[in-house]
Amino acid sequence: MRIVIAEDDSLLREGLALLLKAEGLDVVATAANAADFLAAVDEHVPDVAIVDVRMPPTHTDEGIVAAVEARRRQPGLAVLVLSAYVEQAFATDLFTTGGARLGYLLKERVGRVEEFLDALRRVAGGGTAIDPEVVAQLMVRPDTRLARLSARERDVLALMAEGLGNSAIAARLVVTDGAVHKHIRSIFAKLDLAPTDSADRRVTAVLRYLRATTGAR
Amino acid sequence: MPTRSARAVLDALEHLAGGLGTALLALVALVWLLASAALCLVGVGFLLLPEALRIVHAVAERERARLSRRGREIIGPVPLRRELGWLVCHATVGFVLGAAALTLPVDVLHDASLPLWWQFVPAAAAQPAQGFFMVTSWGSAFLACLTGLAALVLMFVLLPPMARWQSWPGIRLLSADHEPDLALRVAQLTATRAAALDAHAAELRRIERSLHDGTQNRLVAVTVLIGAAQRALTRDPLASKEILDRAQDAAEQALAELRGVVRSILPPVLADRSLPDALTALAAACPVPCRLDAELPDRCAASVEATAYFVVAEALTNVARHSQASAASVFLRRKDDRLFVEITDDGAGGAGEQGGSGLSGIRRRVEAHDGDFTLTSPVGGPTVVTVSLPCGL
Repeated sequence: MRIVIAEDDSLLREGLALLLKAEGLDVVATAANAADFLAAVDEHVPDVAIVDVRMPPTHTDEGIVAAVEARRRQPGLAVLVLSAYVEQAFATDLFTTGGARLGYLLKERVGRVEEFLDALRRVAGGGTAIDPEVVAQLMVRPDTRLARLSARERDVLALMAEGLGNSAIAARLVVTDGAVHKHIRSIFAKLDLAPTDSADRRVTAVLRYLRATTGAR
Repeated sequence: MPTRSARAVLDALEHLAGGLGTALLALVALVWLLASAALCLVGVGFLLLPEALRIVHAVAERERARLSRRGREIIGPVPLRRELGWLVCHATVGFVLGAAALTLPVDVLHDASLPLWWQFVPAAAAQPAQGFFMVTSWGSAFLACLTGLAALVLMFVLLPPMARWQSWPGIRLLSADHEPDLALRVAQLTATRAAALDAHAAELRRIERSLHDGTQNRLVAVTVLIGAAQRALTRDPLASKEILDRAQDAAEQALAELRGVVRSILPPVLADRSLPDALTALAAACPVPCRLDAELPDRCAASVEATAYFVVAEALTNVARHSQASAASVFLRRKDDRLFVEITDDGAGGAGEQGGSGLSGIRRRVEAHDGDFTLTSPVGGPTVVTVSLPCGL
């Protein structure tokens, strides 16, 4: 897996590269700002980009803007955005570009290496990885359509949003795979999602969920 | 009696000379303002006009300070039209009065002493006495001596009222007291209140930024490194020790940065001891040798002391970063209900409020407290930052 890292804090950038290299992953380039990052993406055509949200010069949302731009230049580029805090507006900006191959995690999750690598592989493999914190914030204010979901169904959707697969969700909720499958079917029905490709539908459900809870965008 | 009136004349003369100085500045400001106004016809003036008005304001402020030193304190602000009215008066009448007053003693010395030296001056180089007759004989020399003595009497009679006339427009027009314009005062207080909130928000943003970009990133690095060390523990114990060392470094950096942030919010010494003690620490920490002269027998309101501390900290940071100075000094005194702070350095000068030098931050903080901020920094130095704050107690 070829990886480009964009992070302005040098200690963190090196720490991340060290960690990933030790895991046998191929960090092809690191960048300290958005411009360098985009140049590195153009040059190396990586599988995954790991991007910090706040970078110079304004330290606001350069990372999100750069990630969106990188995906415009290279459709299908997997992007994992790391943020020091949860900002719904950033998540929404990011996910309106399409939900597949996207992740939005709090920075400190990197310390849980196993889970972080899991999320990274999931994003590279076409899935999503949304931080539980983001999901929790979004859950505070469910819209009318989401209100149709039962409490258990909402739990399942939240875990889907985090990017977990059926069996992982079953393990987390301590239920059988069959029960999870039933909940998911029910969620799709309540959210009016036609039965097409199941991976796509999962992403769409998550997206609808994100958009619904961050206002119509 | 004669010594007292002699002192009065000398006093008036000094006053008029000082007035001539500000009149000269007023004249320059007036010409600059008129030139800027004229350039508005071709557009460029719109860029120059705000700066020209700022200069007018600065000159008026200097005149206020000068007049305040000599008598009742002149406190602004006044509407712009009054400052402009004063500018025109002072640049013309004030200038003429000052110039006339300074030539009088020269004339007196010149004419009264003519009998002693008129014959040594070649006829071609002779100057007219009092400007209207040539001294070419003993008779005319003694006549000139008499006119010189008359001019001396004139000095006694005229200089004190001239000094009063010269300062009259300033006292009359630059002092807000004469116009009980409450609406203006309310507008000004509204503006300073908004500035106070702005300064507060800017301060919070600064703290957020330093916590986020410093401490938080360091701590994230610690978790990342600990995660990496954990993974390496079984694979390569030696490498994991090295990674743990780096994690410890990062944790120590986080602590150091956290200390810095806490200190920048409100230094403990300021709360526990006194403002001069806190300033002593600042002056000692300044890389440029800094002399401190701070006396504050009573405490001021905590927010005022914090602002004064912030002003000195920010100004000394500027001195260290930009001024190339070899020495700096900090002066702090309380006079009645105002706290005066002055930071001087002998550096390259040319400091401005543009370019993120922190001076605009000082202005915001000071104006938020309804205080005054002046910066004089000619190219070549020295740079003087003067701040006065109402004590609030």
